[in-house]
Amino acid sequence: MVPPKPVPKTKPRRGIFHAFKGNLEALMIGVKYFIDPKRFTLIYPKEYNKLREGYRGFIVLIKQKCINCASCARICPAAAMKMIRIPEVDEKTGKQKVKNWPVIDYRRCIFCGYCVDVCPTEALYHVPYHDVVYQNMAEMYLDLESFQKPPEYKAAEEGIPVRYIVDEERGLVKVPYKEGEK
Amino acid sequence: MDVIDVIVKIITWPPLWQLVVLGLVAPLGVVVGILWFERKTAARVQRRFGPLHVSPRIGGAIQLIADLMRYAFQEIIIPKTVDKGVFLIAPLTALVLSIVPVVAVPFTSVSHYWPIPMEYSVLISLALSTISAIFIVLAGWASNNKFSIIGGMREAYMITAYELMIILAILSVSAMTTSYNFVDVVLAQTGGKWFIILNPLAFLAAFISVLMATSGFPFEIPESENEVVAGPFTEYSGLLYGVNMGAAYIKRFVYSIFITLAFLGGWLPYQPGDGFISGYLIPSLVIIVKATILMAVFSFLRAVYGRYRLDQALDFAWKLLFPLALMGFGLGLLEAYIGLIG
Ligand code: SF4
Ligand code: SF4
Repeated sequence: MVPPKPVPKTKPRRGIFHAFKGNLEALMIGVKYFIDPKRFTLIYPKEYNKLREGYRGFIVLIKQKCINCASCARICPAAAMKMIRIPEVDEKTGKQKVKNWPVIDYRRCIFCGYCVDVCPTEALYHVPYHDVVYQNMAEMYLDLESFQKPPEYKAAEEGIPVRYIVDEERGLVKVPYKEGEK
Repeated sequence: MDVIDVIVKIITWPPLWQLVVLGLVAPLGVVVGILWFERKTAARVQRRFGPLHVSPRIGGAIQLIADLMRYAFQEIIIPKTVDKGVFLIAPLTALVLSIVPVVAVPFTSVSHYWPIPMEYSVLISLALSTISAIFIVLAGWASNNKFSIIGGMREAYMITAYELMIILAILSVSAMTTSYNFVDVVLAQTGGKWFIILNPLAFLAAFISVLMATSGFPFEIPESENEVVAGPFTEYSGLLYGVNMGAAYIKRFVYSIFITLAFLGGWLPYQPGDGFISGYLIPSLVIIVKATILMAVFSFLRAVYGRYRLDQALDFAWKLLFPLALMGFGLGLLEAYIGLIG
């Protein structure tokens, strides 16, 4: 394919009156916003951004669905998903054996979501938030127990949920979240 | 005569009153308010909140007090490489010299309350107001730091650009009234004939050049923090930095008073009467309120404008502002010639 030809930029029109008009317009916009401020600052601990379904946030394992295939660990580009060996007793035969289970290291994870996509049994899923606090680095390397629980979402306990929507006229607008919205 | 009478007498002695109360205390109060207003306005226009969490109910108004206290208690670091004497003296002198012009302007028409004779007050006050800028260049030079020197040089370039325009623009009211006396200038504006209406060109020129003189946006070039850290004030810390910033704002306040007297009718529509209260206090208050409104307009521009490059600013000053100031002067002369001014 032929690359598109570069279009020369049209020079902005020069002239005192043009400049004067531009300044006046800028000032008018300033006054407009001054009278009717369209703020969208998230006052964080008091409000939190209620993210939509499908947001690639933290990852949770459903152990019952997992078939120990290690696809997630293999596809992970950041080597954050790892398989660990855990000895257990087989329920049918009663024999001792070792199984591989996935665990995640949030110090490395880039939240690309490949592991969730690749999992053949949908044993992994995203929670729609990412503002989770750990007290130290070691805590960010989850074990099998904590990988099965959704991480604690402190902001949701203390703040009120809001949503950002893109409005034709006002641009980015912060609106309160209504219950049951997707 | 008891002690209180003596104290009142001393405070209301015109030179002291104008220098300390109107020159230092009033600007300090105004500056704290205006700084808060500036930050809030910029935040409003740029769709943020600005200072808020210090005192959410009054919109974070205490934030500025907190900042002030932080400056006051911060350690003043004097680097080894600076020229110590000049480094210390420059900001203080700049502060004092930026207050001094207040003493050369009348705040009332009652001659009893003039600190100095007012025959040449326009010239004297303008002359006094031009001295302090050199100490900012000096502060930059004494700091012995590349950012400071670049900032100081920028300031020097700006001085050459704005000084002439301010003087031309404000002197155009002298041309209109054929008098160097600020009192005559104000009294000529009686009856709503404010010179901002009669001579908007000169007002605009004065306004823009004051913006340049006090490095307000869009001419915040000497101190532009994303190019030269804090310009001439890079090495200053603590209270000395506060003094530097205070000097800039007091300078702006003083220029606002000039513009108020020259174009916005001074103490009019109030007519000064006899006695201290109605002859001196109320007219000064009227002037300060007008100057504060002007300061608020200056601050508002910060929210709208970006920053010009130095060459753009100089280009603007010499190619646009200088003709504008000249036109204002000519318009003033023309109006005086056809007898529009009473
Ligand atoms: S989201 Fe991406 S980086 Fe994180 S564990 Fe899954 S595959 Fe690895
Ligand atoms: S891809 Fe899914 S099923 Fe396979 S090990 Fe990972 S979580 Fe388990």
